[in-house]
Amino acid sequence: MLCGVKFCGGCNPRFERGEVLKKLKEHFAGRVDFMYAEEEAVYDILLIIGGCTNCCASYCEYEAKKGNIMLWDPDHVERVVHELEHILLSAADDRQELV
Amino acid sequence: MLMTGAQYIESLRKLKTRVYMFGEKVDNWIDHPIIRPSINSVKMTYDLALDPECADLMTAKSNITGEIINRFNHLHQSTDDLRKKVKMQRLLGQKTASCFQRCVGMDAFNAEYSTTYEIDKKYGTEYHKRFEKYLKYVQDNDLTVDGAMTDPKGDRAKSPSQQEDPDLFVRIVEKREDGIVVRGAKAHQTGSINSHEHLVMPTISLTESDKAYAVSFAVPSDVDGLFMIYGRQSCDTRKMEEGADIDLGNKQYGGQEALVVFDDVFVPWERVFMCEEWDFAGMLVERFAGYHRQSYGGCKVGVGDVIIGAAALAADYNGANKASHIKDKLIEMTHLNETLYCCGIACSAEGYPTEAGNYQIDMLLANVCKQNVTRFPYEIVRLAEDIAGGLMVTMPSEKDFKSNLKVGRNGETIGDVCNKYFKGSPVTSTENRMRILRFIENVALGTAAVGYRTESLHGAGSPQAQRIMIARQGNIEGKKELAKKIAGIK
Repeated sequence: MLCGVKFCGGCNPRFERGEVLKKLKEHFAGRVDFMYAEEEAVYDILLIIGGCTNCCASYCEYEAKKGNIMLWDPDHVERVVHELEHILLSAADDRQELV
Repeated sequence: MLMTGAQYIESLRKLKTRVYMFGEKVDNWIDHPIIRPSINSVKMTYDLALDPECADLMTAKSNITGEIINRFNHLHQSTDDLRKKVKMQRLLGQKTASCFQRCVGMDAFNAEYSTTYEIDKKYGTEYHKRFEKYLKYVQDNDLTVDGAMTDPKGDRAKSPSQQEDPDLFVRIVEKREDGIVVRGAKAHQTGSINSHEHLVMPTISLTESDKAYAVSFAVPSDVDGLFMIYGRQSCDTRKMEEGADIDLGNKQYGGQEALVVFDDVFVPWERVFMCEEWDFAGMLVERFAGYHRQSYGGCKVGVGDVIIGAAALAADYNGANKASHIKDKLIEMTHLNETLYCCGIACSAEGYPTEAGNYQIDMLLANVCKQNVTRFPYEIVRLAEDIAGGLMVTMPSEKDFKSNLKVGRNGETIGDVCNKYFKGSPVTSTENRMRILRFIENVALGTAAVGYRTESLHGAGSPQAQRIMIARQGNIEGKKELAKKIAGIK
């Protein structure tokens, strides 16, 4: 699964945004490819990482087939993991149905 | 095309910019120890644009070309753009603890874009088209441009044309078929030496008798007839000391100002954006000043973030961090700093589109923002000095702390003595304590005080300039009506 990643600009982040992405990459190693979002690409999911509650990153210009996930607090990691696992599971079910 | 920081520095080496300092020509100004920290600050604006964790603030999509460009070369297309500008400036202040110099160009682009549009509308000139073409060149090449406004001004009681010396404001001395020749100087020019180009604007509203001074144009920084004399900063020669590090407080970054002299400089017509339209000088000045007063609600806040952090570390290292008055002072510093940020964000959120289409800040709130900036950084840095203690200005030099010269009865070196008597809390080394105190010294009264203190006072206009704008925009008559209605006055 391909996950586009968009960070806010980090003017006053309350946590290390890069560290959070690192954790997610470790958790989903071999199952989800995290890539910095680019306009021309199409992603399965777009992960938007903000440094505060405002989570002001622009992301409308990116395309993601299964929608966007927002994260602006380290406490959100658990929820994001759950959502990504759920999407992975649904994708596996879809593949099985096709077979 | 975005340049890397390294490419930016190499691009400066290709210029033949004429720089003078301490009465002498500086040939290799890029590697000069007094100048280089200020170049590093500008370099940060390039490096962060290529960092995915910062790109959302540092870059934008050009409305001219559709390409991704550095936000410093962007025309604001929305209030979101205006807010992101302030956030970008805060970020850069945090990363450099200095003035990163590129805001003057960005603010000049946006003021020129809307003003030239309105000049053309009145006079049928073609300045706007010329300016857009020029800005496309700047965007395509990711250039740093000095937005040059402040003239030396001479006798403040006299207008430009009344001055005994007519060169005290930049003026047109010749109009030719192929362009104009300009003479004069711009003072206090932030980042001028580190800029590829200079975009010159008038400095005050003008009357018809001053029309020769109603001129705006762009020239490369190494154009024939242009040279710069470096402005010195308090404690600047510490940077010339061999192996200087801790005593500098901020070794890597700094700000820069210079006197930029136009010694009969030729400007081709395609780079002229105002020529004698004296009735638009005030509009250009007001719009540039408005944007620049907004800017201070970002850049100084970022530097303030570092100062608050430094004061908190000094308290830790002094062992005073648990004292309630120290905690309260850190709260006060944060309150003041975030108030400045509130103003920067507010004047952005209340922005509006100009006739040309780019967005302008709310003028009243931007002036309130800058008026606060003339005061709060002084209080923030005073509190930092309070927390740091007198040692920040009485401490021996780095060389003393590292000296092996034996001076004690039992063979103790100068270094041993300094490290013994200046040890603070066991949580850190004496060297770290020195480092943070020297940083506070630097920003309170060393080279960085230029940017954090006096520039906060006079940059983007002295306090009285904002008060005039606040008076104009304050709507006192409307407020009187409100009071009358509540009080039942017919």
